[in-house]
This record gives sequence, C-alpha cells and structure tokens, in this order.
Amino acid sequence: MRIINGLAREASEKGYRAVTVADIVRRAGIARNTFYENFSSKEQCFLAAQEYAMGSALEQVVERAGSIDDWPQRVQAGLAAFLAYVAAKPDLARTCMVEALAAGPASVRCYEESLQAFVSLFKIGRDVSPHGGELPETMEEALIGGVFWILYQRLLLEETDQIEELLPELVEFTLTPYLGVARARKVAAEGSAAAPRPQPRGRR
Amino acid sequence: MSDSSNSSAESAEYPPELARLPPGRHGLPREFVTRNQRERLIAGLAEAVAENGYAGTTIAHITRHAAVSRRTFYEHFASKDECFIAAYDLVMTELDRRVGEAFEQEDDWPQAIRAGIAAMLGYLAAEPHLARLSMVEALVAGPVVVKRYDAAIQNLVSYFEAGRKGRSAKVLAGLSPTTEEALVGGMVSLISRRIFADRTDELGSLLPDLVEFALTPYIGSAKAAKIARNG
Repeated sequence: MRIINGLAREASEKGYRAVTVADIVRRAGIARNTFYENFSSKEQCFLAAQEYAMGSALEQVVERAGSIDDWPQRVQAGLAAFLAYVAAKPDLARTCMVEALAAGPASVRCYEESLQAFVSLFKIGRDVSPHGGELPETMEEALIGGVFWILYQRLLLEETDQIEELLPELVEFTLTPYLGVARARKVAAEGSAAAPRPQPRGRR
Repeated sequence: MSDSSNSSAESAEYPPELARLPPGRHGLPREFVTRNQRERLIAGLAEAVAENGYAGTTIAHITRHAAVSRRTFYEHFASKDECFIAAYDLVMTELDRRVGEAFEQEDDWPQAIRAGIAAMLGYLAAEPHLARLSMVEALVAGPVVVKRYDAAIQNLVSYFEAGRKGRSAKVLAGLSPTTEEALVGGMVSLISRRIFADRTDELGSLLPDLVEFALTPYIGSAKAAKIARNG
C-alpha cells in the first residue's frame, strides 16, 4: 500500500512517464529491494495501483448502491460513493482516470473494465426511460467519460474539497437523458437535501 | 549541409513525401531547407510514436523516419520532448482551425455544432498517426503537454456555451455550470478510446451519437436526434 501511494503521489506531481522506481522508493520510504520483492517494474506497480483503486472504488459503489431498488436513487447513491472515494484518494484517482489510457494495454483493459461496470449500472436506465429504446448506443460511455473528465479537472486544479459538492450536478447530468430535466433535477435536489453540503460555488 | 555525405541510396526507402532534398548545392534558400527539415522531423516523430509509443520512441527512431542526421535533429530541437511539443502544437492548431471554420460556416447553432464535430472526426480519422499522438500519447508526454492538452479540450467548451444564447429559462435551469465540460469530456473520452483501440477509421460513424449527446441538453432529445440523423 505504501508503494502504491508512493507511485500515485509521484505520478500526480510529474506525470507517470517521468516517474522512476527510485522516486517511488524514496517517496514510500522503503528499500529498493522491497520494491522489487513486490513488483517487477514500474509498469507492474502502476497496474497494481490501478487495479487496487478501481477495485476498491467499485466495491464502495456496490456497497452503498447495490441494494437500492429504485434506479435513479441507485445512481445517486453510486455516484455519491464514487465521489467520496475520489475525494479521499485524489492522487490515485487522477493517475487512474486519465493516464491509464496511455500507460499500456493492460492498464487500458483495466480502465475499460471499470468503465463498463458503470456503463451497466446506467444501461438499466433505458428500461426506466420512456424513450429508452431510442437513446444513442454510446450514450452511457459518453456520460461516464464526462463524469470522469469533470472529476479529473477538479483534481488537476487541486480542488479536491469541492468534489463532493459536484454530486447534484453530476446526478442531474447523468439522469437527464433518461428521465428528462425535471425528474432528474428532482432526484438530484432530494439527494443533496438528504446529505447537505451547502457551500455556494463560483464558476471555477 | 552536414549530412550530405550520407548514402543517397538510403532515401529510396522512404515514401516520396519524406524524400531528402538533393544533397549539396541545391540552391534552395536556407530558410526553406530548415523548415523542410523541421516538418520532416515532426512527421518522423509522429510515425515513430505510432510505431513504438511515446515512451519507446528514441531520437534514432525519429531521425530514421525523417531521414535526417542526429545532428540536424539537435539543430531544431533540444530533446524528444521538445519535438513532441512542436508536433502536438501543430496538430492542435490544425484541429482548432478546421473545427473553428466548420463551426463558423453554419448560422444555426445546432448545425454549427454538428459541422464542428464532423470536422474533428474527419481530421482525426484521416490522420491516424496524428490522432494517436494528440489524443492518447499526449497524456504520457509529461506535464507541459498535459497542460496544453487540458487547455485545448477546455477550449472546446466555448462552442457549447454559445448554445445557451436565447434559450428559455426552463432550458437554462436544466444546465449546470459544468454541463459543457461534461459534454466535451464525454465526447473526447469516446473518441480517444476508439483511437486507442486502433479503431480510428470508425470515428466517422460516431457522428450521429455525438451530435445527439451534445445537443440534447439544449434542444431536447427529439430535435437533437433529428439533427443527428439527418444533418
């Protein structure tokens, strides 16, 4: 865990490519040997970090949302759990959500798998939606890509403390194509009333 | 012309657009030669990166593809990173120009968005090496490029913000401060993942989906679907 956190911190400071095993070892405060007892290379360490982060994020999403029957509420709870995870582990999240696309085939596979987990959660919305059959095939991918991008921008700007405040707008953004603006807003507003974080936020 | 002594037979291996200038006293202005070398180095980098990924690309790969000497490389660029940044800027300037022109040619905002998206997909599909360089490899090319990548994508936000103009209070109430960013991020994510999976040639077929996705928050899904499908 210390090694993975070391990699994540270094990668978010200088970019994954520029990070060396020596950097990770120094940041984690361990011996070089210890690194190589756990991982054969920086690439393998990155993949482990990514699998760990994606795995535990999804675990928390399922734990919080999995048993909720009402689909809009489930999306709301799932996004809340995801935002909470990203806010708690900003370095890992930043490394996984964007750099993974350029960090080799194994990383991309891992990225695609976690993205597909969210795609399946959202696809259920097509059954709930009055016009579910007409929605574009790739819409879920685009919605999730949009959510990831917003989070990544906040991480880049180091606005970690504002991430959880994004919940109502992201719930509204993702539910609108299925339920229409009015219902999506209602779910988003009820969700944020249940867990208020009242702090007016400017336009970045 | 320090590299004029290199075997001229070597140039036969390269496609005509990368062919060397004739060695020795060709009478071409120095400025022309220099620009030609710089452009060839940038094209060479794009090919080398497509072949080996950014991390696996060496200066030797670049100079081989560009058919210039190592010394010529260093006359133009201090490092691989610097050459990459030049290539990246060139691609993004071109992409920006094409998207901007396509957008400006349509008076009607939804049609302008459609034209802009079509121009972006068209350019990337026609230039698979440059597409990969700018949308995938840029992410591992270090903080300088990542910053420019983010700025370039955030720049697209303004095309969408223009869609707020003249909308009813009801529509505006449905948009949040991050709607445009989320739309752009979602579209870029779809595009990048196709490029990564070597499905760059399929980008054109994303047009209707992307147009519908992008327009729905502003004009509703029925109208958006109609423009997406019929143009």
